[in-house]
Amino acid sequence: MGTPYFDYHALAPVIVLAAVALLALVVDFVWKDGGRRAVPQIAGIGMLLALIPVFTLAADGETRVMFGGAFVVDNYALAFAGFFLIVGYVAVLLSYDYIDEGDYYRGEYYVLLLTSVLGMVVLASARDLITIFVAIETVTLPTFVLAGWRKHDIRSNEAAIKYFIIGVLSSAVMLYGMSLIFGLSNSTLLSEIGSVAGGDNPALFAVAIFLTLAGFAFKVSAVPFHFWAPDTYQGAPLPVTAFLSVASKAAGFVAMLSVVALGFFASPNSWQPVIWVLAAASIVVGNLAALRQTDVVRMLAYSSVAQGGFILVPLAVSGDNDAARAGFQGVLVYILIYAAMNMGAFACVIANARRTRSTEIQSFSGLGRSNPAMAVVFTVFLFSLAGIPPFAGWFAKFVMFRAVLDAGTTAAVVLGVLAAVFSVVAFFYYGTVIRRMWFHAAVDLGDTGSPRVPGALVAAMAITTTVVVVIGVYPQLFAKIGDLAFRAT
Amino acid sequence: MTEFYRSYLAVAVLILAAIGMVGFMLGLGRLIRPVRAQEQKYIPYEAGSDPTGTFGQSNVRYYVFALLFVIFDVEAVFIFPWAVNLESLGWFGLVEMTIFVVVLTLGLVYAWRKGVLRWA
Amino acid sequence: MDWFDDWALTLAVFTPLVGMAIILLIPRAEEAAIKVVALLTSLVTLAIGVGILVDFDFGNTAKMQFQVDKEWIPVINARYHLGIDGISLPLLILTMVIVPLCIIYSLDHFPEPHNPKAFLALILLLEVGMIGTFVALDLVLFFIFFEVVLLPMFFMIGVWGGPNREYASIKFFLFTLFGSALMLVSFLALYFLSKRSTFDISTLASFEGAGITRGTQVLLFAGLFLGFAIKVPMFPFHTWLPDAHTEAPTVGSVLLAAVLLKLGTYGFIRIALPILPEGAQVWAPWIGLLSVVGIIYGALCCLAQRDMKRLIAFSSVAHMGFVMLGIATLTDFGVNAAVFGMVAHGLITGMLFFLAGSIQHRYHTREMSRLGGLLVSAPKMGWILGFCAMASLGLPGLAGFWGEFPAVLSAFEPSRLANGILGNTDSTLWTFRTFMVVAAIGTVLAAGYLLWMYQRVGMGTPKPEFEDAHIHDVHRPEWVAWTPLLLGIVVFGLFPNLIFSITNDAASSITRAFSG
Repeated sequence: MGTPYFDYHALAPVIVLAAVALLALVVDFVWKDGGRRAVPQIAGIGMLLALIPVFTLAADGETRVMFGGAFVVDNYALAFAGFFLIVGYVAVLLSYDYIDEGDYYRGEYYVLLLTSVLGMVVLASARDLITIFVAIETVTLPTFVLAGWRKHDIRSNEAAIKYFIIGVLSSAVMLYGMSLIFGLSNSTLLSEIGSVAGGDNPALFAVAIFLTLAGFAFKVSAVPFHFWAPDTYQGAPLPVTAFLSVASKAAGFVAMLSVVALGFFASPNSWQPVIWVLAAASIVVGNLAALRQTDVVRMLAYSSVAQGGFILVPLAVSGDNDAARAGFQGVLVYILIYAAMNMGAFACVIANARRTRSTEIQSFSGLGRSNPAMAVVFTVFLFSLAGIPPFAGWFAKFVMFRAVLDAGTTAAVVLGVLAAVFSVVAFFYYGTVIRRMWFHAAVDLGDTGSPRVPGALVAAMAITTTVVVVIGVYPQLFAKIGDLAFRAT
Repeated sequence: MTEFYRSYLAVAVLILAAIGMVGFMLGLGRLIRPVRAQEQKYIPYEAGSDPTGTFGQSNVRYYVFALLFVIFDVEAVFIFPWAVNLESLGWFGLVEMTIFVVVLTLGLVYAWRKGVLRWA
Repeated sequence: MDWFDDWALTLAVFTPLVGMAIILLIPRAEEAAIKVVALLTSLVTLAIGVGILVDFDFGNTAKMQFQVDKEWIPVINARYHLGIDGISLPLLILTMVIVPLCIIYSLDHFPEPHNPKAFLALILLLEVGMIGTFVALDLVLFFIFFEVVLLPMFFMIGVWGGPNREYASIKFFLFTLFGSALMLVSFLALYFLSKRSTFDISTLASFEGAGITRGTQVLLFAGLFLGFAIKVPMFPFHTWLPDAHTEAPTVGSVLLAAVLLKLGTYGFIRIALPILPEGAQVWAPWIGLLSVVGIIYGALCCLAQRDMKRLIAFSSVAHMGFVMLGIATLTDFGVNAAVFGMVAHGLITGMLFFLAGSIQHRYHTREMSRLGGLLVSAPKMGWILGFCAMASLGLPGLAGFWGEFPAVLSAFEPSRLANGILGNTDSTLWTFRTFMVVAAIGTVLAAGYLLWMYQRVGMGTPKPEFEDAHIHDVHRPEWVAWTPLLLGIVVFGLFPNLIFSITNDAASSITRAFSG
């Protein structure tokens, strides 16, 4: 037994994140008062610091394989690692004032956030069921605590408990599926699972895939595994909700994408129908439920369920007629764009909640007059979510439809038509908020907070708006990332 | 398509089997157990002693200590196999294990500073 | 002027965007500066348009000119491809003329809630979308611009509109969005079915539908049809139009009528017909049928209106019916008539909406039963209204005639490849000739409702409630905004060849596949 092979360059993002998380923890307990101010800065800088090796690795372009193929750093992994780090950075920006002003622990908040992002970065590289499982648990465990951060608020407690119980249940289901796969294929490496896919016992393999995907479906809150999402999103502190609805959801999709694309791909009959049903149900139920909401967070929760359905569409058709590449690219590009617009939308919700101390849709009334800049920004995000050009959302929908038509089977086209119809329905609820902001006079809410939008939130809005507008006009940037990531497959 | 339906048949069979198993076990219990109602049987079971009637809470510190015990127990589980192979792993192994122990120690220091280890 | 050939269209599309950005940077209180920037921007855009007119090769109108073809999204093979031919040129210039006129008109007619900064920024954004749609030669680019038009109009109706504005704006948006979702799916299907994996409109048109089976063409054409027909709007999809027009502020109505509706008909001519010829042949009689139903239905609805603006809105449905009938014949004659009809309708109906706005501004009502005696209280405006009503009903010698009459006439001799209502080419002739007769009846009805409107608004004596009110006659900004339109109506009425000579070759090239 010798020294295992380590490529420190490839591991650098993970090592940096882990070190920064520990540093933040130490700073917090060693240097109590100064730490209160320093920890958020450390967390933010840490996320950016970890981006540097991601860029150098991408410039290098070489695929690095470690731990017997369980940990791979290729374009696919780097694309998602970079994405998670940027999302993490925006999450830090969103949290800054919110956590600062509330009656909350601060050091631990950022440590947990960093740990969760650490799990995501590992997940992007994970090519083995055990690594995927450990990574996904590293992602979700800290978020259980974060969801219950407002510990004096009964809603936040409910959010945490619900999320915890569902999360643990889904892990158990997923683990059961994974153990069945291991039993059948005698390996946990995705590449080796792929080669025995379908083998001697296709029925059992189908059961295993079904259970594994059901586990992921809980994580991404796809219908019918979505019922925890609205309550958790509403109860959790708003920056955590933003993080949950974007980062941890994306992590679930990345896991699903890796497992399907690299593991199960050879037996589409066993995973495609499952994902088809998840996608169709999420689109229908998510959009219809969102129509009835009066609270903007619940509305965005259901909208994220619906958007999750749209993200699943390209995956659901990727097994047909060489549509694999268009399908996987579609998922990847949709996730990137969805993250930017949803993060941005939550930044606006947080800013508005500071102003009005409310998340009712009604509280947005008259924003167009009282704070036109913020209203314009929020309008951009809502239009983008609805898929209206020239904002990035249109390209997400475009790549989705492209995958559908590339596959061209009846099932794919039915799903495509469903998606087309419901993306129009979706405009109705996004439009409700837009109408409130621009067409209605302000409603007197009595107790009003501070109208000032703090600098960190402005920065978060600026980053996300830039992405949404630039990608909307020049989508090649993300399309290229999607293309590079899947050149190999 | 038949192949495809057959693979889904397995999923359906699994789900039915799961429901059936639960139903079978509960039903079997109901069938073979004697039913003699006694008042004491409806009292919640609390480790053998009679319930006091009030809502009692265990001190959260018990859990914290249990948790710390588990963590260091697991640490030991990792250290034993490492110690056996220390020679072949060499300096690399020593550094790795040091990092591992330091991270866990940081956790302990954190708990200590936050006052978790104080009993009263 | 080589650089101008390469840059003219890009400049034309993005100059308003630059103006909009500048306006957004000016503080809201500096109203004068905002107005100057907006007006200047639209005039610079018009100047570019004049440059294009000067540089345009009128001897070769079937060819795409001022082409730009650059890489845009290589991964999906979408290109930044712009260009204009004889079909797009008149519409492009119409847009460039209408926008500055609207800005001039609104300088002292800002609807509530005032806010000229937002209002003018939206008009300029609208101009970006409108110009872009008319010059785009890539389906994805076309789609983007087509949708960009939605946003400013949505806000214009929703913020500055009448009492029922919220309902009208959301209805407008959802209808159009629904159509464009299916249109996008059809575009993508074209991309995959054309074998060459391209979104380029000229390339796709050059295949003339080769490689796409008849059945698929019929399906795809249906998708495109929904997208465009809702925008036109054709008969069963028109219900958003009266609401949008009634609630929209005056300038919004003018732009909606003068340019936005043309985006749909332009889409038929530029995309649906040349790319899917067999689909067009199958759908032609149905389009024709819906067109004549629209003509009659729109006219009958006009006769039932009490609100002047709503009447003009329904007259748009009827007039766009003539345009679509011309397109449905699949002949170069019909397409020529359609393009002329689009320009004429833009000038005349735009003018009518201006008048309706000015009348409402003065009387604070559009109820025709309360109006009356405009010729007495504001004679100049009364005469202009009369003139426009005559132009709209198709009086020979004015522009409206050359849009309507040739469209009706073209139905006499439809393309021999177009199907009839029975689904074969045997029934073509009598199908379209029946349409012709019905459409001719429509022109009579048009005369009826327009004269009736004029009688109630223009003639008679002012109603007692307005007897003592001081009704200001046409004032200067209105003159400035209206004169070019009135001149256009006369000039194109007297010299229709000014437009027909531009569109003719392009129309023949587009209908080449149907000339059998």
